[in-house]
Amino acid sequence: MPLALEGSQAIARAVALCRPQVVSAYPITPQTHIVENIAKLVADGALDCEYVSVESEHSAASTALGAAAAGARAYTATASQGMLYMSEVLFDISGLRVPLVLTCANRALSGPLSIWNDQSDSMAVRDAGWIQLYCTSNQEAIDTHIQAFRIAQETTLPVMVCVDGFTLTHTMEPLELPAQETVDAFLPAHRFARMLDPQAPLTIGTMVGPEAYSEVRHDHHHALLAAADNILRANADWAAASGRDWGGLLRASGPADARIGILGLGSLIGTLEDAAEQHPELPPTRIIALRAFRPFPFEALQAICADLDELVVVERAISPGAGAIVAAEVRAALSELPRAPRVHAVAAGLGGRDIGIGLYPNLLEVAQNEKIERFRIIDLDPQRLPEELSA
Amino acid sequence: MTAVPIPLSDLRRRQPRFTGISPGHRACQGCGELLAARLVTEAAGPDVVVANATGCLEVTTTNWPDSAWRVPWIHSLFENTAAVASGIEAALKAQSRSSKVLAFAGDGGTFDIGFQALSGMIERGHNVLYVCYDNEAYMNTGVQRSGSTPVGAATTTSPAGKERLGKRHLKKDILSIIAAHYMPYAATATVAYPADLRHKVRRAIEVEGPTFLLVHSPCPQGWGHDGSRTVEVARLGVQSGLVPLIELERGAVTGVMPIREPRPVADYLKAQARFRHLFADSAEAARELQHLQALAEHNIERYGLSAPGPEAHDSEGADTVRRGGNQWA
Amino acid sequence: MSNKPRITPGGVAQAGAAMAYHTGSWRTQRPTHVHAIAPCHHACPAGEDPQAYLALLDEDRPREAWEALVAANPLPGVTGRVCPHFCESACNRSELDEAVAIHSVERFLGDEALAQGWAYPVDPPAADAPIVAAVGAGPAGLSFAYHALQLGWRARLFDALPEAGGVCRSAIPTYRLPRTVLDGEVERLLSLPGLEFQPHMRFGLDFDLQDLLQDHAGVFLGLGTQRPHPWDIGGAIPADLHNGLDLLKEWLDHGSIPSYRRVAVVGGGNTSVDLARVLKRAGAEHVYLVTHAALPNQGESPGDEMPALAREVAQALEEGVEILTHKGVHRLLLQGERVVGVEITHMKKLPDASGHAVRTAFEGTETVLPVDAVIPAVGEVIDPTGLEALLNGAPYLKTDQDGFAGHALVYAGGDMNGRSGTVTEAIGDGRRAAMALHARVRDVEAYAPLSPIAGWEQINPAYYEPSPRIQETVLPVAKRTGCAEIEPGPSAHQAHREAGRCLSCGMCLACDNCFTLCPDQAVLKSPENLEDGSRYVFDYDYCKGCGLCARECPCGFIQMIDEY
Repeated sequence: MPLALEGSQAIARAVALCRPQVVSAYPITPQTHIVENIAKLVADGALDCEYVSVESEHSAASTALGAAAAGARAYTATASQGMLYMSEVLFDISGLRVPLVLTCANRALSGPLSIWNDQSDSMAVRDAGWIQLYCTSNQEAIDTHIQAFRIAQETTLPVMVCVDGFTLTHTMEPLELPAQETVDAFLPAHRFARMLDPQAPLTIGTMVGPEAYSEVRHDHHHALLAAADNILRANADWAAASGRDWGGLLRASGPADARIGILGLGSLIGTLEDAAEQHPELPPTRIIALRAFRPFPFEALQAICADLDELVVVERAISPGAGAIVAAEVRAALSELPRAPRVHAVAAGLGGRDIGIGLYPNLLEVAQNEKIERFRIIDLDPQRLPEELSA
Repeated sequence: MTAVPIPLSDLRRRQPRFTGISPGHRACQGCGELLAARLVTEAAGPDVVVANATGCLEVTTTNWPDSAWRVPWIHSLFENTAAVASGIEAALKAQSRSSKVLAFAGDGGTFDIGFQALSGMIERGHNVLYVCYDNEAYMNTGVQRSGSTPVGAATTTSPAGKERLGKRHLKKDILSIIAAHYMPYAATATVAYPADLRHKVRRAIEVEGPTFLLVHSPCPQGWGHDGSRTVEVARLGVQSGLVPLIELERGAVTGVMPIREPRPVADYLKAQARFRHLFADSAEAARELQHLQALAEHNIERYGLSAPGPEAHDSEGADTVRRGGNQWA
Repeated sequence: MSNKPRITPGGVAQAGAAMAYHTGSWRTQRPTHVHAIAPCHHACPAGEDPQAYLALLDEDRPREAWEALVAANPLPGVTGRVCPHFCESACNRSELDEAVAIHSVERFLGDEALAQGWAYPVDPPAADAPIVAAVGAGPAGLSFAYHALQLGWRARLFDALPEAGGVCRSAIPTYRLPRTVLDGEVERLLSLPGLEFQPHMRFGLDFDLQDLLQDHAGVFLGLGTQRPHPWDIGGAIPADLHNGLDLLKEWLDHGSIPSYRRVAVVGGGNTSVDLARVLKRAGAEHVYLVTHAALPNQGESPGDEMPALAREVAQALEEGVEILTHKGVHRLLLQGERVVGVEITHMKKLPDASGHAVRTAFEGTETVLPVDAVIPAVGEVIDPTGLEALLNGAPYLKTDQDGFAGHALVYAGGDMNGRSGTVTEAIGDGRRAAMALHARVRDVEAYAPLSPIAGWEQINPAYYEPSPRIQETVLPVAKRTGCAEIEPGPSAHQAHREAGRCLSCGMCLACDNCFTLCPDQAVLKSPENLEDGSRYVFDYDYCKGCGLCARECPCGFIQMIDEY
């Protein structure tokens, strides 16, 4: 029976269903409600775990790292500046091949200060060597967290579950929480073979010289690529258990014969799907939700885009000086196709700017332009721009 | 050369003490930090998990595929050792495992960059013994000054020259800061008094909760003394009063190693090239030398290090040898 | 197949894998164990290694300690009482606080052996082993015979007197050396299989050197100095002049001594001090000891001190002997041929024009000392009977360091050589002569010189706690009568404690410092003693040669040597 839950609360309950042994927590908007809710579950005796209120995000990641290295199922959450502050540790966690799960309540980056949603934070740690999964809805967030713990322990890689701040985390809606038995059946007891154990002492975090560092990186890279299978399997198994299939690496909606596609990550997918329903007069469009950004789903993407003529990638982040982040990778991936669609790149919804139904026709307009859109922020307010840029 | 009746490898397997570090590490000749770590791991025994900060101790012991560690060991980063140790401890607690967690870091990783994480770890009451191997500068990167470098010491970022006499700032009183956390047990120790060090490690391990040990560990390279003099220099540090050996419980001094006959600070400083400029023929050098002497005397007054008479555990008696050492077992 | 290690996820390494990396290749110097000679050992004329037996006693192995002691000196009960302990003068511990009371431990072990009936650790020689002869059963001859047995010879010992012991029996008062101790040690020695004692055999009268050389594989002469040094003052010799040594022997043999009211004993040696004390015991009101030297340890220059033992001098002063230092007898005051006093002057030994020290009296310092008798005790010389050819007119028998007298297989030692004025030196002479004779006849290597010496600079004083030397108990003056020994000697506890004060110069103390302080764990500990006497072994696969162990070795047992 669906429960009316705030997104953060739902994520906290989902995490609790996964029986984490150590949770490290540090407040940052808009993530805070998640760790607050976990704290309350612990306080109420509903969750038996070591809840460590650390003094910084750097320590939040480090504590989770230590706990995971010691063989515990570990979890933490952050956003924005917190993500940047812990970024040093994020690289280390994945490089040491320590499995844990982190929720990113996506938020813009300073400066200037913005507490509102975009995905600049998780995009900034794109190369941290983590699995990154983006959720389009709070129901998907619940299910993805449960899958993430299984993926992490199967791959011994850390998994970042990205959930749009405020848009999802602070939205109250009816949601299905799985039964504990369902989760227990899906998620085996945590085990980490390389754990710190006096009975079988190992040295984790050695200094690797030039004679082997490339090989360590190669191994890490291929572990991430291979994790695609684990993501697919977790999705399929959870779909069988819960009846909800989130597509694995990506999923598409809309007419299969559409010649135009729009690709995005996170909650804007729902908005675009609603808009497509409300605009039947506009050309048929495939709306593609990129669920796994890392590992990057080359083959799945090529397969789904093979018959498109136009693909608009809309993302909630910007790489200043280049522009597109996701679109750049999509272009590279599709360039291997014999007949690749034109790929247009736009950003929208930065720093919490509302993404509404009105975005959809604008994106289709871009798709139909004569010229390929290399990159632009599509929802600019020219009146806010300095005069020399407003033309 | 000594003729030995049994193969060395067999003998090594039969050594009477478990040591958490094996030979084959790449530390410099006469390294005080490796000696300190060796002594700490011996006292701690095999049932431990070590979190180690970036630094000499880490890079000299874990050159992949080699590791000199015989206990489970993890190095993550420079500043997060206390947090990693917190996580390990939380995990052990969650798993109902009883191994003691040790956090090892240098003075840079403790006084400076890792201080915040350390403070958090103590405040949260994690059952971790945090050991700071204090060689009073960033040695791993080439002897840069740290918050622990004593005033007057020359380092590569506090060099001595025409206008400067080495570091211009006082050594941070880390122990008082640590103790101010209402710490169950915090102490200083040194490689010059291994029995005292062992005693403090065992005491710190017994305590359920966060404990802190600051181990003065001479660095032959960074301090400018021969590797053979590591213990001698450390001993002079204590005997001069510059390195007080004290124990604090809940912030109160509960133990000190009295100094039987205080040695002039100059004896300690002269043994090290990093203080060589203080012996120049100038009023400024003489004043800085007197400054260090005054700091030592202040320590003696502050902690009551003056011994009324010879004691077995004072600065002269604590390292007395006995025939037969610790016997075999 | 490549044997390169393959990477594991995250670059994890196996515990202790660094053992494969041998840091020994970094080394330019290596530590080695060097058993340097302890200064006490080097200083002991008898060749004792006090460090060795102090260590054994410290380990509570008293019998082995005694066996180590009697490996060099068969008469420790004697020397523990009468030796001026050269060892203690050399003891490094005096730089720290006070020298170890080695003589007390020596005496304790000697007495303990007698009390326990311990036998010398000497195997009987073969029944047909060649036999050597020693003439004179004093400390030199006894020692020669004992060491000859140790080396596999049989020995025949001759003495003119009915009992063996030499000066120990004839000149050392029993309150210093009880007869029970002397008899115990001498009898134990004489009863060793392979040793034959022939008393009442007067050299030069009942037998001579030629006889000996015919029947023996080697000869050792240890006849001592039997004749008092001639003494007169300006040609005046009192009618009742007694020689000090004779008086002492009389008292020792028969317990009798002339009684004087006021008496002057001339000389600063042990004989004069012993005699002065005996005279005091016999009831003299004033016993003056007249010496041109200063009290022990108060000399103004080398040679300006009484040769008597400081301890004996101190006890003599306690007992009321009046010692007149830097004084000499200038004139005898006689009534007829009877002494009624002596005129004494200030006197010192000063160098003459050629640099020889000569006694110099200072005019205008004359004082009259009324006395009933004056007794010279200024030394003795060899009785040349039977030795004329060897002596060739010299007052002493010249030998090399080994005691070789320059004639066939004849060795000599003890007082005869003019160098060895103590029982301990005599024992050493006998030992070295036996070893030299053995080396010469068997054509084997002579004993190695004692080097290097572990001097104070080899000691790391940081590791030793000050600890006061034992205070030896002495009977109060009022109870010092008759023959009873006035020093009861150390208790077992005291002796053990004193052994624990030994710094173990030059020899492993088994303190664990090298084992504990090696940053590279290149020092391994063995449960049993290793060949070099230590418990430790260097693992040169890992030793980086930092030298920390050598510097922190308390006793100088570890030395760094160059690798290349």
